[in-house]
Amino acid sequence: MRALVIDDSRAMRRIVTSILTGLGYEVRDAGHGREGLDVLDEGWRPDLVCVDWNMPVMDGLQFVSAVRSNPKWRSVTIMMVTSESEHTQIVRALAAGAHEYVIKPFTADAIRDKLALLGLLPQEVAL
Amino acid sequence: MTSTDTGQRRRSSDARPVIPDLIDEATILSIVEEAWVALVGEDEVLVPLAGDLPVDILSSWVDVVGPWTGSVVLTTGRDTAEELSRALLGEAAPEVLEHEDVEDAFGEIANVVGGNVKAALPGPSGLSLPQVGNAPVVRNPADVCRVDVVWRGEPVSISVQGALPPLPVSSPTH
Amino acid sequence: MSLTATSFDWVRELVRKESAIVLQPGKEYLVEARLLPIARQMGLADVGKLVETVRVRPDADSMRRIVEALTTNETSWFRDGDPFTALTSTVLPSLLTSRGANERLQIWSAACSSGQEPYTIAMLLDDALPNAASRVSITATDLSREMVQRTRAGKFSQLEVNRGLPAPMLVRHFQRTGNEWEVSSNLRRMVNASECNLAAPLPRMGPFDVVYLRNVLIYFDLPTKQSILRRVRDLMRPDGWLFLGAAETTLGVDDSWERVVIGRSSAYRPVKGA
Repeated sequence: MRALVIDDSRAMRRIVTSILTGLGYEVRDAGHGREGLDVLDEGWRPDLVCVDWNMPVMDGLQFVSAVRSNPKWRSVTIMMVTSESEHTQIVRALAAGAHEYVIKPFTADAIRDKLALLGLLPQEVAL
Repeated sequence: MTSTDTGQRRRSSDARPVIPDLIDEATILSIVEEAWVALVGEDEVLVPLAGDLPVDILSSWVDVVGPWTGSVVLTTGRDTAEELSRALLGEAAPEVLEHEDVEDAFGEIANVVGGNVKAALPGPSGLSLPQVGNAPVVRNPADVCRVDVVWRGEPVSISVQGALPPLPVSSPTH
Repeated sequence: MSLTATSFDWVRELVRKESAIVLQPGKEYLVEARLLPIARQMGLADVGKLVETVRVRPDADSMRRIVEALTTNETSWFRDGDPFTALTSTVLPSLLTSRGANERLQIWSAACSSGQEPYTIAMLLDDALPNAASRVSITATDLSREMVQRTRAGKFSQLEVNRGLPAPMLVRHFQRTGNEWEVSSNLRRMVNASECNLAAPLPRMGPFDVVYLRNVLIYFDLPTKQSILRRVRDLMRPDGWLFLGAAETTLGVDDSWERVVIGRSSAYRPVKGA
C-alpha cells in the first residue's frame, strides 16, 4: 500500500510517515498541496493521501477539490490531518470530498483506527 | 482616558469580546496537555506551575482572525524550544539542530495548540501559518489568558492574547 | 510508597495474561502514571498501595481497569467494529420483523466505560431508524460511578473523538463545546446510564433484545462467569442476542447459549428450553 503525506511541517510529516511505514505503507511526502499534485502528476498512485489544511502555496482544501475534479484521481482516499477542528470546517472538508478527518493532536492509534474504518489497514497488521 | 464615546459602545451586545470571556485557563491547559501527549510523547508530563523564564527566550505563535482576533503564543527558553523540537523530530533529529528545524517543530506545536484554541472560540475564524521569533506585544492586558506549565523542569508559557488595543473608555456617566 | 519490583512484576503478568501485551522492564514510570488515577478513585494514596490491595484481594473490576489503563489510551468508537456491523446487518432487521411497530427495542451495554459503546449503538440506530429516539432504549451500566457520570454527560475529548469515530458521524451527532465534543441531546435521550455490579444480583431491568457484554468475562473465574451469564440470560428476551468480546465465548462455560456466526463476528442466543 502507498500513502502520500502532505504537510508544511517537516516534523509532522515525519510523525505521520513513521506511523504509516510502521503499518506497512510505502510513503512519499510533499510540503504543500501543489507539490502533492505534482507527485500525483508523475503517475505515482497512492491508496491514501493524508493532507494538512493550512499550508503555503496551496492549502489542503484546495488540494482536495483539485483531486476530486480530476477523473484520473477519483479513487484516491483522502484523509485530512489538521489542527482545524471547528465543526463547520470538518463539514466543509467532507463536502469538498475528504473521506476522513483526523484532528491534530492525534495518537498513532487514532490513525490506525481511521485506516481500519476505511478498510486501508494492510492485512498482516489487521490480524 | 478620553471620552469621545457616545455610550453606545458600552452595550454588552456589541462590545468587542475579550479573551477571558471566551475561554478559561482550564480549557487552554487541556488543549496543551493533549498536544503534549500526542506530539512530544505519552510519558511527557506538564506540571501547571509558573516558573521564571530564562533571559534567552523564543516564541512560536499562530494568529486567529475572526470574531476575536489575536495570537496563541508559546514562549520558553531557547534551549527548551530546541529540546522540544528534538522530541518532535525523534530519531530524525539531526545532531546539530538548525534554526529552521526549531522553526518547523516549535512552530507546529503552536499550530496544533492554536487550531484547537480557535475551535473553542466563537467562529468562523481563520488561522495563520505559524511564526517563530519574538512574540507579538500584548496590546490590551485585559485581553489575555495565560497558562504557565513546567516541562522537564523548564517553564513554558502559553498566552492567548488579543491583537487590538483597548477600546477608548468613556468616563462614567450618571 | 513507590512501585516495588514485585508489584511491577505482578502488573506485568496480569497485563500479559489478559491482553497478551508485554510491558518491558523500565516501564515502571508508565505504570505509575496510568494507574495513579485508579488509585485516587479508590481512595488509595499511590500506585504501590493499589497493586498491593488488588494483589491481596483480587477483584475483577479493578483488574479490568488496570489492564485497560495500560493497554489502551482511549476507548475506541466501533471498538472491534464487527459486533456493530452485525447489529445493523442482521440483528436489527430480524428484530424489526419479529417485534410490533410500537414495541420498544431494549439494548443493554453492560460495561459501558466512558460511554463510547452505548453512543456508538445509539448513532447506528439513529441513522438506521427514522424514529429511533422513541423506538429504542439503551441501558448503559458500569460498576464505576465516575464512568456512569461520564456516560451521562456525553462529553468527549479531542483525543477520544479521534479514536475510530467516522468523521461524518462526528459532525452529524456531536457539537463542539470548548475543547470537548458533546453528543446530541437526541442521542443522550436514548441512553440511560446507571451503576451496576455484574458480579452481584442484578437490578430489575429489561427484558433486553440485545446485550453487549464485551471484555468483562475474561477477568472473572469460571463460577463467576457462569453466574453472570445466567443472570444476563434472565434479563433477556428468549430470542435476544448477546455479544461478547472477541476473545470471549460461552463455549465451555455455559451450554445454554447457541453461537451464531454473523459475518466476522459471533452472537450468542439463548437455547430454547435450556
